Formats: sequence, structure tokens, C-alpha cells
Amino acid sequence: MRNKKILIVDDDPDVLQGMHLRLKANQYDVCLAVDTFSGVAEARRSEPDLILLDLGLPAGGGFMVMERLKLIPTLAIIPIIVVSARDGLGNQKRAFDAGAKAFLQKPVDDNQLLAVIRQTLGEPAGAKRPTLQDQGAV
Amino acid sequence: MKQKPLQVLLVEDNAGDARLICEMFINERPGSFALTHILRMSEAETRLAKGGVDIVLLDMGLPDGHGLDTVRRAHMVAPDVPVIVLTGLDDEALAADALKEGAQDYLIKGQIENRALPRALRHAIERHRMQTEADLIRTHQMQFKDEFLSHVSHELRSPLSAIRQFVTILLDGLAGELKPEQQEYMEIVLRNVKQLQSMINDLLDVTRVQAGKLTTEPQCASVSDAIAYAVDTLQGAATAKGIALTSDVERMLPSVCADPTRIQQILIILVDNAIKFTPANGQVKVRARLFDKDPSLLVLEVSDSGCGFSPDMTERIFERLFQTADPSLEGRKGLGLGLYICKELVTRQGGQIWAKSAPGQGAVFSVTLPIFSLANLISPAFHEEGRADRPVTLVVTEIGSPSGWLSDDVRAEQSHGVRKIIQHCLHSRLDVLLPKMGAAGPVELFFAVGLTDSIGGDAICKRIREELQEHVQRSGLTLSTCYQVLTRTRRNSNESTEEHLEQVAAGIQELIKVEISSRMVVNA
Repeated sequence: MRNKKILIVDDDPDVLQGMHLRLKANQYDVCLAVDTFSGVAEARRSEPDLILLDLGLPAGGGFMVMERLKLIPTLAIIPIIVVSARDGLGNQKRAFDAGAKAFLQKPVDDNQLLAVIRQTLGEPAGAKRPTLQDQGAV
Repeated sequence: MKQKPLQVLLVEDNAGDARLICEMFINERPGSFALTHILRMSEAETRLAKGGVDIVLLDMGLPDGHGLDTVRRAHMVAPDVPVIVLTGLDDEALAADALKEGAQDYLIKGQIENRALPRALRHAIERHRMQTEADLIRTHQMQFKDEFLSHVSHELRSPLSAIRQFVTILLDGLAGELKPEQQEYMEIVLRNVKQLQSMINDLLDVTRVQAGKLTTEPQCASVSDAIAYAVDTLQGAATAKGIALTSDVERMLPSVCADPTRIQQILIILVDNAIKFTPANGQVKVRARLFDKDPSLLVLEVSDSGCGFSPDMTERIFERLFQTADPSLEGRKGLGLGLYICKELVTRQGGQIWAKSAPGQGAVFSVTLPIFSLANLISPAFHEEGRADRPVTLVVTEIGSPSGWLSDDVRAEQSHGVRKIIQHCLHSRLDVLLPKMGAAGPVELFFAVGLTDSIGGDAICKRIREELQEHVQRSGLTLSTCYQVLTRTRRNSNESTEEHLEQVAAGIQELIKVEISSRMVVNA
């Protein structure tokens, strides 16, 4: 069975790298984008199974990414998890109204993030323990 | 430029007093004052609602309004219009209370100098304008501080997010296995990152408290779930310190009417504090039970075997920025905001928080929360002070058969059963609000419950549906529920609470007759 593919859209390269490592270690394929336009373009190109989306992005922002994706029928169905440092008040509701499946506040607890990803992808809630052993050589 | 006359609304039922006051304006420059005289409070409300009044001269003994109630009513309709109350010689104390209610000034009838009245009016208007301006500036400043803190916390969260991510990546061995010493040091980093994170959250919550924006969404919530969550979250921290963290929840506890995430937050703060101030091999225990002094409340207790504090500190520890004086205590780390936020969260949800302790004897923190009962839900709406303008939610539960075939006997029997179930699921003793059964028509039976504003209307409907669905289906009936906002009927000052509740119940019954036939009912 092929690995699920997750697109991370975040303008902070450190956050991107960290999430990338974490997801790769949990057997997900990962693609990355750093702003509003590349977020939409990357979603179109790689058609991921799920998108982790930051709200404060250059050239528009996370809500604009969601709006754009909604206009493309094949992409409109991709589940989106918003991961933002912005205050949950208001933004959370707005994100859900825009169709997000979940809203996570940065800094995110990794176990929580993985649990929400699994739940959103409909995967069994088992513990995939990321260790060097089951990774083979990193 | 010609100035517009000041519009003065004189509300006075005594013709003699009114004439005396009118005469005091005779010597004023023509066109500087326009006096409108009316006799009743209800007229005053109508007139104020229309707008255009600059100041009100208000008698506190009117045929349809008395005492402080008149000031409140005037403020409710027109909060921006200054009020000067007129009183007799014998009730100057009452007039002083009126100032606390927001009146600008009071004048004692029979002691007003001719020239003083117009001057008092001008001063009152000017004072009111300055107050409004100061309020506005304060609001702007608060808003600025709010935005600033929100911005800063966002900016702090982003780098913190990256630190946390990479620390956990290292700790989980994703970048190669760590030596035990390295592991230990990274755990120290992670612990401090988490602390920084909770401080940022506290800071945001405190800003919200001060801006009056700390929100709670009361609903039917389980205390045992919240306790399980808090114990689960902090078990790791307790074990790391060699502390036994346990919980003891009385069986069959009723739900509470509170915001579930806020109960979690309260417990996390209290348990986290307990762990901080308890040395190794100590104990922290979370308990929940019905409050023996008031069965309409649940009490949550967090007790520890830690260092405790002296009894004279039991109030002060809930103050903002309070820190223990002993710098050697680990629990001193932090901003001193946790218990302050806790107290705000508890009191906003209709509960109380207190602590008992003695040095070296551990500490017990107790929190009460109202149980999810009809009586608790409606009480704020009828509370005398402060909340008079809050709307009441009407919950309608109706049970019907498509053909309307129920006989009177069956209907009576069903209504009795359903009524009992509703009372049970709402923990209600306030029968008066359930209107009398027996209205025939396309809807066979219905129930109505008056509730405070938006809290719980939805939750109660859901609960009623859950509890009743099966019972109703077995009888071959259909059930639908809805709720809607209903403006509270005003309480007369000489009416008892019981009389008032009866009146509200009567109002609800009346409303049903209108609303059931219109399309207000949303099918479940």
C-alpha cells in the first residue's frame, strides 16, 4: 500500500523542516510549500491526501489557499488541518466555516498532530512508533 | 451660530412639583432649553427610545416605577443620556444609591435654587460627556493592549513551535540515538519550552479577562471526563517527580453546566500547581462529589501533601501576579497568573473557589460548579442585578401523532410520563415553568421550559431528544424540539419570585399558542 501524501504549507522554514522530519518518520510522503500561491500550485501538482495549512502566509494567507482549492473540484475534497500560531478565538470558527477538518494551535504537540492526521485520514489510531530501528538507515 | 436648545425630559407625576421645576427655566435665554413634561415611566421609556433627549430629570416615585428601578429602566433604554434624579428630603440615601446606579446627580425637591437647576443640567451633561470620552479612550487603550499582546504572543509562539518540534525530534531519536545525559538535558529543554508556552497562554487569558473577553460556553458537561483528561495530561509530570497522582470521583454524579474545556483548564492549573508545590513521594488527589452544603452544586477538590501556606494567604493567592515569597520553591516559576485565571473562570461559570492550608500541612483547593439543572440554568435570568437585559431561551418539546388520535386520557398519561422524564433529565424542581398540558390539535403534547439566553438551550434540546426519543417512539409518537430566544418579562419590584416565575410561565404558554402554529419548530 502506498504511503499517504501530506502537503505542508508554512512560511517558516524551520517549522517546515521539523514537520517534514516528523511525518517522514511516520511513513508519510511529504511535499512542501511556503506561500499562498505555491501552496495552491503544489496541491494541484501533487494532489495530496491531506494538507497541513498555516494561516499567516505571504501573498494572501491560509484562508485564501482554502478558497482557491474550493474552486477546483478535484482539490476541494482534500481534507485540511489548520496549524496556526494565531489565537484560536475567532480563527478557529472561521477555519471550520471555511471547511477545515481541525484547528491546531502552535506549538503543536506531535502526538496530538499525528492523532488528528490519522483520524482525518481515517487510519486506525495505533501508535506508529518512530524509531531508528524501524526506519532503517536514516 | 444659533445653538440648538437642550432637550430636557421631565418625568414627574406631581403637578405641583412639575410646575415649580418648569418655572425655574423662565429666566433662561429663550431657545436654550426645551422642556418636555411627562407623567409616567412607561411614557419616558417610549420617549427615550425615540432618541433626541439630552438629559432626564427623573422623579423616583412614579405610578408605574419606583426607586432605583426607574434609573435602571431609563439607563436600559438610553444608556447614553445623563439622568438627574429628583427626590424628597426624606430619601437622600436612596438618591445616593441612584448615583451608584449611574445617575449623574440628584436634586432635593423644595431645596432647588432657581438659578441652580439650569446650571446643574449643563454640568451634568458636560460631566457625562467627559465620562463617555474617558471611557472611549480607555476602551481604545485596552483594545490596543489586546492587539499588541495577541501580536506578541503570536510572534513568540512561532519560534517556540520550532524549538519544541526539534527538541522532540531529538528526544524521539529521529536524528540518531541520544546518550542518557543528552536525553536528560533535552528533557529539561522540553519542560521549559512547555512552561514558556503555558505562560504565553496565561498572558493571553489575562488580557482577555481584563478586556472582558474571556469566553466560556456553558453546556451540559461531564466532570469525570475533565478529571480524567487533567490526570492523564499531568500523570507524566507527577511520575517524573515521584508523586502519586490519583482521582476519586463519586459514582453517578450529575453533569455540570459549564464549559468543558474551561473545566479542564481549571483542573490543569490546580493539579499542575499541586505537583509543583509537593515534594517527591508526595500525593496529589483530585476528587469530585455533590456539595453537601448545597445540592445544586458539585465540588471538585485538588488536595496535595505539599508545603502548604499560612491561612492568612488563602485570599491573596488568587490575586493577579501573586508569587510565593520563598524563592527556593520550584513552584515559584511562572507569572503568578494561574490561580487568578482559575478564579475568573470559576466565578464566571457561577461557581466559587477557595483554598485551605497550613504550612507543612499540604493544601486543598475546592471549586464548586452548578449542576446542569433547570433551576441553575434559569436563575441568572431572574437575578435581580446586572442581567436584567439578558434574553431568556424558550425550549419547546412537542410530541405529536400525525392524525391527532390521542384520547384525553392517553394524552394525560403521556404528558405525565414525559414531564417526569424531562424533570429528571434537567434535575428540575421548578415545576412552575412547565406549562399545563392538554392543548389539542395537530401537536398532541408539548413542553416548554424557560431558560437563560443561549446557554444550554441547544444542549437541553439535545438532551431531551436523547432521553425521550426511545420512549416516544415506543408509543408511536413523533418528537421534535426547538428553542428560541424570548425577551424576559420585567419584574415589578413588589412581586415575589414565585409570582414572577408564574408570570413568566404564563407568558411562555401564551407564546406557545402563537408560535406552535407558525413555523418556528425545527424537526429533530
